[in-house]
Amino acid sequence: MARLELSNLHAKVAEDDGEKILDGVDLEVFSGEIHALMGPNGSGKSTTAKVIAGHPAYEVTDGEVLLHLEEGDFGEDFEIAEDKRTWNLLELEPNERAALGIFLGFQYPAEIEGVTMTNFLRTALNAKLEEREELFEDDDAEDEAEEEDVGYETSPMEGNVDEGEVGVAEFQQLLQEKMEQLDMDSKFAQRYLNAGFSGGEKKQNEVLQAAILEPSIAVLDEIDSGLDIDRLQDVSKGINALRDEQGTGVLQITHYQRILDYVEPDHVHVMLDGKIAESGGPELAEKLEDEGYDWVREQVYETA
Amino acid sequence: MSTQVHANLTREQVEQISADLDEPEWLTETRVEALEALDDLDMPDVIRTPGRDWTNLHALDFETLVDPLNAAEDKDRVSDEGIEVLEWSEALAEHGDLVEEHFASVVDPEENYLTALSTALFSAGTVIYVPEGVDAEDVKIRTQMNSRSLFNYTLVVTEESSSVTILERQSTGDDVEGERYYSGIVEVVAGENSRVQYGALQNLDEETYNYTLKRGHADTYATVDWIEGNIGSRLTKSSVETYLKGDSSETKTVGAFFGHDDQHIDIAARVWHQGEHTTADLVTRGVLDDQARSVYEGVQDVGTDAWDTSSYQRENTLMLSDESEADASPKLIINNHDTEASHSATVGQVDAQDLFYMTSRGVHPQVAKNMLVEGFFVPVLDEVDVDELRDDLEELVAERLRE
Amino acid sequence: MSSDQDHLKQTDTEKRFEFKKEESSAFKAEKGLTEETIRVISEDKDEPQWMLDRRLRALKQFHEMPMPDDWPGAPDLSEVDVDEIVPYIRPDVETRGGVDDWNDLPDEIKDTFDKLGIPEAEKNALSGVGAQYESEVVYQNMQERWEEKGVIFCDMDKAVREHPEILKEYFMTKAVPPSDNKFAALHGAIWSGGSFVYVPEDTTVDMPVQAYFRMNSDGMGQFEHTLIIAEENSEVHYIEGCSAPKYSEFNLHSGGVEVFVKENAHVQYSTVQNWSKNTYNLNTKRAIAEENATMEWVSGSMGSKATMLYPSTILKGRGATDNHITIAFAGEGQNIDTGAKVYHNAPDTKSTIESKSISKDGGRTNYRGLVHISDGAENSSTSVECDALMFDNESTSDTMPYMEIQESKVDVAHEATVGKIGDEDVFYLQSRGLDDDDAKQMIVAGFIEPITEELPIEYAVELNRLIELEMEGSLG
Repeated sequence: MARLELSNLHAKVAEDDGEKILDGVDLEVFSGEIHALMGPNGSGKSTTAKVIAGHPAYEVTDGEVLLHLEEGDFGEDFEIAEDKRTWNLLELEPNERAALGIFLGFQYPAEIEGVTMTNFLRTALNAKLEEREELFEDDDAEDEAEEEDVGYETSPMEGNVDEGEVGVAEFQQLLQEKMEQLDMDSKFAQRYLNAGFSGGEKKQNEVLQAAILEPSIAVLDEIDSGLDIDRLQDVSKGINALRDEQGTGVLQITHYQRILDYVEPDHVHVMLDGKIAESGGPELAEKLEDEGYDWVREQVYETA
Repeated sequence: MSTQVHANLTREQVEQISADLDEPEWLTETRVEALEALDDLDMPDVIRTPGRDWTNLHALDFETLVDPLNAAEDKDRVSDEGIEVLEWSEALAEHGDLVEEHFASVVDPEENYLTALSTALFSAGTVIYVPEGVDAEDVKIRTQMNSRSLFNYTLVVTEESSSVTILERQSTGDDVEGERYYSGIVEVVAGENSRVQYGALQNLDEETYNYTLKRGHADTYATVDWIEGNIGSRLTKSSVETYLKGDSSETKTVGAFFGHDDQHIDIAARVWHQGEHTTADLVTRGVLDDQARSVYEGVQDVGTDAWDTSSYQRENTLMLSDESEADASPKLIINNHDTEASHSATVGQVDAQDLFYMTSRGVHPQVAKNMLVEGFFVPVLDEVDVDELRDDLEELVAERLRE
Repeated sequence: MSSDQDHLKQTDTEKRFEFKKEESSAFKAEKGLTEETIRVISEDKDEPQWMLDRRLRALKQFHEMPMPDDWPGAPDLSEVDVDEIVPYIRPDVETRGGVDDWNDLPDEIKDTFDKLGIPEAEKNALSGVGAQYESEVVYQNMQERWEEKGVIFCDMDKAVREHPEILKEYFMTKAVPPSDNKFAALHGAIWSGGSFVYVPEDTTVDMPVQAYFRMNSDGMGQFEHTLIIAEENSEVHYIEGCSAPKYSEFNLHSGGVEVFVKENAHVQYSTVQNWSKNTYNLNTKRAIAEENATMEWVSGSMGSKATMLYPSTILKGRGATDNHITIAFAGEGQNIDTGAKVYHNAPDTKSTIESKSISKDGGRTNYRGLVHISDGAENSSTSVECDALMFDNESTSDTMPYMEIQESKVDVAHEATVGKIGDEDVFYLQSRGLDDDDAKQMIVAGFIEPITEELPIEYAVELNRLIELEMEGSLG
């Protein structure tokens, strides 16, 4: 079981005199759990998500982001050595974090022209598997791995058949299954990555990518914004499946109670001024929906 | 340069012009230096492709065109509250330091042969001075050219957080026969956070050769907008240019031209992005009839330090006649990768389907065609914020269509 | 590291270079490019008198013409000292110029061959060592298969000897006469090697004719001439240097290509240029398309120090079509100046130009294009699209199109964009597990995808690999 641990996390915009945004965030997410992270605009929710994934626009000034792994987290065949069970994510590149099972669902996914979904996702999946091998192999063996040279054998647009663990045929099937689960039109597979997608299609695509990449912990940043009710249900189904079928831990950042009717959180956190101000069960979300954030604020500053 | 203009141009003439305007010594010297530089200067750049010059300035016969001491014009200057719109000797008397500071700071008199000629010989000058925080509209300069040659100079200085809208019009009086030469230089110095909108409508008679260079420097947060209408003249060589020197400065150029008979209209819209976060939008539309020829050059130059630049350019030409020619060269010169830039250019004719649709509803083909031409100009006319200029331009277009 | 330098040491050519440097001024003063040199070339090739006459006439024109400065802002050619190349065009020197052993090739070039997965035999052929047998076989096969249909495919020297009637009519007479420009004149005087392709009426050559077949022809040099004649209703696809990233120790390449596309015929001419980074690559490529003919130019420019390449098509017959696809990639120290020229000289003609350029590490790319529609070429249409992608602030990207429209019943459209590799885009891909290099590579592949999808698959693969190599090299 994997565990993401944020402790006393402080971060600012990575510029001289950049604005301070996170002011001591403490948070723990186990795989298999669903957490909802709520809070008013500007409280630091999105920044928390981006810092976990390693966005270069933010600089961590204090605190830690740790990922704790256990034997079996990457399947039975994958050995995780004793000394490689705790990772300080802040020292790693975004793609290395992805290889360890961190997934960020973007609030505004990038549009990449000319790169098909299929090509991209298969490349990402294989890159993840390859990077994971590298991160966990004995340090002595590292040099050898880098010697490897790869070249395309098929169309460069489809990648190389021989490259990576997951071949084209196998991947096609995987993709198709996952798309059916999410009730996505199969034509998406051949479209360019997010290019010309509607807001809702992009969000759906983020969940699809999570389903393919099978993260240990998925941080979903406002995955529910701008969705009509049908798509909200599809997306919710996808998120529940992540947890139920893959044991993914979900940290869901949202403004609205609405999605929590479909994706029931185990824990709800309220963020205020760069910290977690209040934590509780699903009932907390309902209270926020009814009463807004003011009472949390009052409570926090009374105690202070 | 081998043009023999200086054969009938003397230092005495230049000094005479300067003395008539009560100019200080530095200015007389600048003029004389410009005169003396003529020999070494080239004509303004024209576009060249293998085997062709798009505009042949060397064919201009200055010998007969320039008549330095007999410049005559009717000038009408309309000012607005809180600002000063001064004719040249008045400006020198009242704001000598201001003029000395800014004169030739934007356009180097010795930039090319024609700027030097203009600097040496200009007899009509205007200074528009907008003090800090003043908002002015409806500044108007109407020039009617009544001599064989006329050299005009305009300086616009706006201080911090001021704004001004200037409308300039050139036309020709009836009292001179034969070919003429009009030359105009405009320098705009837009101070921090100020806004200059400079509209010009050129409707010189069709025996007049026209050289115009308008250039602005935009300081931080300043905006320099240009509206450029070219209807008249035998040959026009005109360039409208902005240097976005300050961070977050902006420019927009809206151009419209309509050539007919054997007019040759060579226009350019150019912008240099030098500060950070600058924005430029260059829009030009033109129509050509008969044997008219247009040459369009658009330049979007993004400097190495111009981070976060946005730059757009559109040019559309409509050809009404098979004898006309439309040449265009929209250029992107990008030295900073943090840039979003695009340009597009099209050339086409009146859409046959549209024409058919309209005539099938009973509209006479010529009327339908005219409507479509007027419609073609609408997107640029919509961008013209100065009502008077827009109305005039619309009217001139309509007039030409009815000829 | 300076692999060029190492190469010079290894192959002992350094002395010859030194020699050249020291002696060139004296040499130039005394001789320059002389009639005598031309006579030696011609004699060595056993050429008929008419060809010698043409060479000498071209030489005269070369001496009389100024350096080309038609395009404002074009790459600086002042470093190109034409007289310096003289020793290399003399046959005895030319053969010496070849690399004698595979191992003598600079690592950079060997790496490229390796990474491209080119088989050993082919590698040897490409490096000019042995393996001529293999290519001879392929060549023979090709010949037999098409010979009976009347297709001619041979090296130019042989064509001069065996097909004088065709050559007298077409060789540098109609498409690229020596009088065209100084480099065309130079080419006319000292051209050597190249291919001749003749496709008779109603014949479709359904496999790409690849230029590496001619690897065994002697005198394959820096001034090769390619002449393609496609008769009525015929079709052929010629690929130049597709899997042959050529290495040259000479610093000037000036090829000439002439293509005649007769009524209703279809020619595609594809090039991937990967010259070494010390080469000036100045080509003159021109096609004349007759009624309802189609000419397609596909050019990928990766190598060279400076490239000036503007394949041009003259749409001479009614209904003729031209398509240009251009990809340029300029890395450190490179100036890739490419584009297209199209002359619409007949009604109902159509042209499309698509250009994608990438600049990084201080590289310069420039699109320069001319579309000319003559009076009377009514119902012609042209569409130009140029997109540039920039990696960093050391690089530059210019777009300079020229349109000369003398006919009103036309449809002319030009569009260009410039953009950068966005940090957000890179982060998005990284967050999915791609490392920084792969993420950028993927964005580049996506950027040129609209073009690669139109290319023959081998070509697209080739191009992508070269771009990968290019990026790998500079990303460390």
